[in-house]
Amino acid sequence: MTKLFQSLGDWFDDRAGVRKLIHESLYEPIPGGARWRYVWGSTLVMAFVTQLVTGIFLWMAYSPSTQTAWESVFYIQYEMNGGWLLRGIHHFMAQAMVVLLAIHFLQVVWDGAYRAPRELNFILGLILMLIVLGLALTGYLLPWDQKGYWATSVGTNLASQAPVVGPDVKKLAVGGSEYGHQTLTRFFALHAGVLPGALMAFLVLHIALFRRHGLHARKPDHKLDSMFWPDQVLKDSIAALAVLTVVLGLTIYFRGAELTAPADPANPYDAARPEWYFLFLFQFLKWFPGELEVWGAFIIPGLIMAVLFVMPWIGRTRTGHLINIALLCLLLGGAAALTAQAIHEDYFAAWNSKEDILKADDPVLAARYEASERFLNAKTEAHREAERVIELAESPQRIPPTGALSMMYDDPLLQGPKLFAQNCASCHNFVDPSKPAEEQPHAIVNAKPTAPNLFGVGSEAWALGILNPEKIASAHYFGYEGSPFVDGEMATYVTDTFGADISDEQKAKAKEAFAKIAEALEAEAALPTGPKLNEERKNRIAEGRALMTGGLSEMLDSGMSCTDCHKFHDTGDLGSAPDLTGYMSREWLLAFVRNPAGERFYGDNNDRMPAFGPHDNPQLNQLDDKSLGLIVDWLRGDWVRVSEPVEAE
Amino acid sequence: MSNTPDQPPPSLVKIPPTESATRRSFFAITAAVVAGSIAVLTPIGVGLAAFLTPLFRKSKSPEVRIALLDQVPDDGMPRYFPVVADREDAWTRYPAQRVGAVYLIRLAGEEKPTAFTAKCPHAGCFIGYTPGAKVFQCPCHTSAFNLDGSRVNGDAEVAPRGMDALPVSIRQAKTGDGNTIAEVWVEFIDFQTGHKEKIPTA
Ligand code: FES
Repeated sequence: MTKLFQSLGDWFDDRAGVRKLIHESLYEPIPGGARWRYVWGSTLVMAFVTQLVTGIFLWMAYSPSTQTAWESVFYIQYEMNGGWLLRGIHHFMAQAMVVLLAIHFLQVVWDGAYRAPRELNFILGLILMLIVLGLALTGYLLPWDQKGYWATSVGTNLASQAPVVGPDVKKLAVGGSEYGHQTLTRFFALHAGVLPGALMAFLVLHIALFRRHGLHARKPDHKLDSMFWPDQVLKDSIAALAVLTVVLGLTIYFRGAELTAPADPANPYDAARPEWYFLFLFQFLKWFPGELEVWGAFIIPGLIMAVLFVMPWIGRTRTGHLINIALLCLLLGGAAALTAQAIHEDYFAAWNSKEDILKADDPVLAARYEASERFLNAKTEAHREAERVIELAESPQRIPPTGALSMMYDDPLLQGPKLFAQNCASCHNFVDPSKPAEEQPHAIVNAKPTAPNLFGVGSEAWALGILNPEKIASAHYFGYEGSPFVDGEMATYVTDTFGADISDEQKAKAKEAFAKIAEALEAEAALPTGPKLNEERKNRIAEGRALMTGGLSEMLDSGMSCTDCHKFHDTGDLGSAPDLTGYMSREWLLAFVRNPAGERFYGDNNDRMPAFGPHDNPQLNQLDDKSLGLIVDWLRGDWVRVSEPVEAE
Repeated sequence: MSNTPDQPPPSLVKIPPTESATRRSFFAITAAVVAGSIAVLTPIGVGLAAFLTPLFRKSKSPEVRIALLDQVPDDGMPRYFPVVADREDAWTRYPAQRVGAVYLIRLAGEEKPTAFTAKCPHAGCFIGYTPGAKVFQCPCHTSAFNLDGSRVNGDAEVAPRGMDALPVSIRQAKTGDGNTIAEVWVEFIDFQTGHKEKIPTA
C-alpha cells in the first residue's frame, strides 16, 4: 500500500514538480524563530479564504434583482439551515478583515518593513487594501435593505461629484440614472467576480514577493532560526482560530448580521450610515459644505492615499521613517476621533436629557438633539418595519411575486399609521384613553384634536364610551375643540339618561341596556379582534338590537330609542344621524371617509371632515382607494396576525 | 521519462537566429501581436459595449399629477405629497409607483403653488419637514432650507444649492357631475446632486 502511494507520488512529482513546491512553501526559514508578531499576514489570508468559502455558499442562495435580493437574503437568514450563521460569519469576518488589515499595515510601517527591496510589495499591499475596502462597499448594498440602499446611494451620489467623469462613473456603477436591477447585477459582479479575482491575483504577487525577500525580521535576535513549518504555521493557525472565535462570538452575540426592511426608494431611511469603518469619512465630509465637497470626498483622501503609496521612499532615512509613523498615528487618531464624533452626534439624544438641552437654550445643541432624535426614531421605526415584514414573509402567505416591498405597501399595520399621520392626524387622535400616552409607543397624539379619538373604533369599549355621559363629553368623543356635537342631540340624550333627577335604579337599568347596545354595535362592526360569539353573547346582541329599535323608548324618560334618529337595518330613516346598519364595518367606514357629508352619514351636520374620496374617478380624489382601504383596515385592526396564535373555533 | 541533466528543459533551449530568420521574425512578431490582440480585445470590446449601455439611455421626466389645488391652501405652509408615476427599471415596469416626493407651498393670494422636490441637492437624501416648522431639514448631513427653498446658512451649508423647484402647471379636470376641478401637475425632473447648478440626470 505505501509502495503504491510512493509510486503515485513519484508519478505526480515527475510531471508537476509538486514536492519541490511544497517543500519551498513550507520550509521557509524564519530568522530568529517563529513569533506571534508574524501572524497578521496569515490571519488575513485565512480571513480572505473564509470570505471566499462563505461567499460562494451565499452566492448559491442569493439572487440579485430588486424583487429577489432582499427576499433571497431573508431566505438565507431565516429559513436555510444555519443560514444566519453563514451570513453572520461573512458579515463579521469582513469587519475583522478591515481590522486585521489596519494592524498588518501599522506593523509594516512601524517596523519599516517597506524599505528596499520591499517597496513594491508595500504598494501591492496598499492595492490589496483598496480592493478589500471595495469589497466591503459593494457588499453592503447586496441585501437591498433600507440601510444598505440609502447608505450606498449617498455614497454613489458623492461619487458623481468627482470632477469631469463623476456623473458617467456613477451611471455606469448604478447601471442607469436610478438604482434598480442593474445596480444589483453590477455590484454583485464586482463583489463576487471582479474584486475577488483582482484580490487573488494581487495576493499571489504579494505572497510571491514576500517569499522572495524573506520575512522582515525586526531584530534578528540570537535565538535559533526555525522553519515556517511547523513552528510558525502552528502560531498562525492558533491566531486564525482566535480570529474565527471572535467572529463567531460576534455572530452569535448579534444573532447574525442585521437585515433591515426591504429597500424602498420612496421612503428615505433617516438613519442611513455607512459601515463603522467608513464612518470617519462620512463625518469628515460634513466639514466640506457645498462645492467644497470635492475636497473632502476626493482631493484630500486622494492626497492621503498618494502619500501612503510613497511611504517607502519617505521612509528611506531615519527621520523619514519617523515622519511616516507620525503621519500614520495622526491619520488613525483622526479617524478614531471622527468616528467617535459621528457616533456621539447620532446618539446625542440617547445620552442627554431633553430638559437639559432645552435649559441650555443653545440653538446648536437643540439642532443636534433634534437631528439625533430623528436618527434614533428612524432606527426604531426601521426595526419595527423589518420585524413586521419578516413576520409576514414567514407567515403562510409568504412573499408575493412582486416582492417584499409590495407586501409592505399592502400591509395595514405598516401603512395605516403613516397614512393616518399624513391625512387624519391633523384633526384626530389615535390613543388608547385607558393608558397614559407615554406608555403607548404607537399612539398618534394630537394635543389639540378637532375630531374624535379613533382608537378602537367599532369596538364594544368604544361604543360604550359614546353611551357614557362623561366620556361622550370628553375630547375623545364629542368634547373636542369647536365641536358642534358636544351640545348636540346625541350628547344631550346620553347625559339626560343619566341626569341628576334620574333614580339610581333607573340609571342601572339604562346602563345595563347600553351595555347590550354596545355589544350589538360591535357585532355590526364585525372587527377581526372582536370576542367570539357564544350563545349567551348572541342573546345579548339580540336584546341590544331590540332595545335600539324601540325597546329603549319604553324604558327611558326621554321615550326615545336609537332608531328615532338613526336608521338601523329596516327601522328608522336616514337624514338626521348616521346610519347604524353595519356601523364601523369596513364597508361603512370606507363610505364614510369617502364622503362623511353624505346622506347616509352626517349630511349637513358634518363637522369640518373633508370628503376624501367623493368621486368615482380615483384620480380626482384626495385619497386613492388603496390608501383608504389601508387606513380603514388599520383602524379596525384588520391585518394579518402571525405572532398571536389564532384561536380555534 | 524525467529530464536528464544534459538535456535542458525546452524553454531554455536557444535556437541561433539566421539572416532570413530575423527578417521573417519581424513579420512574425507583427502578425502575432495583431492576431493575438484581436483575439483578446474582441470579447473585451463586446463586453464593454454592453457594459456602457446606461450611458446611452435617455429617460424622460414624467409629468405627474400631484394633488388637487384645494389640498394646498394658500397659507405658505409646505405640504408633502408623494409623486406617483409609472417607473421602468430595466425589464420591469412598475405602474403607479412612488418615485419621489414634493413639497407644495402656496403663498397667500397666489394661484399656483411652488413645488420643491424632496430630494436633497447635497447627496440625495429625503428632506424632511415637520408641520409648523420654519425650515426644511435634511436628516443625512443636517442641511437646512428656508421655506422658499434657499439654504439657511447660505454657502456654509453642506448642500451646494437650494432645494430644487420643479415646473408646476394647473390643469382643470372634469368631475363626474360635470364641474371642473383644479389639479396641480408637476414635471418631475431628477437633478444631479452635489453641484452648484441644477443639472438634470437624464
Ligand atoms: S444629503 Fe442632505 S445634507 Fe447630505
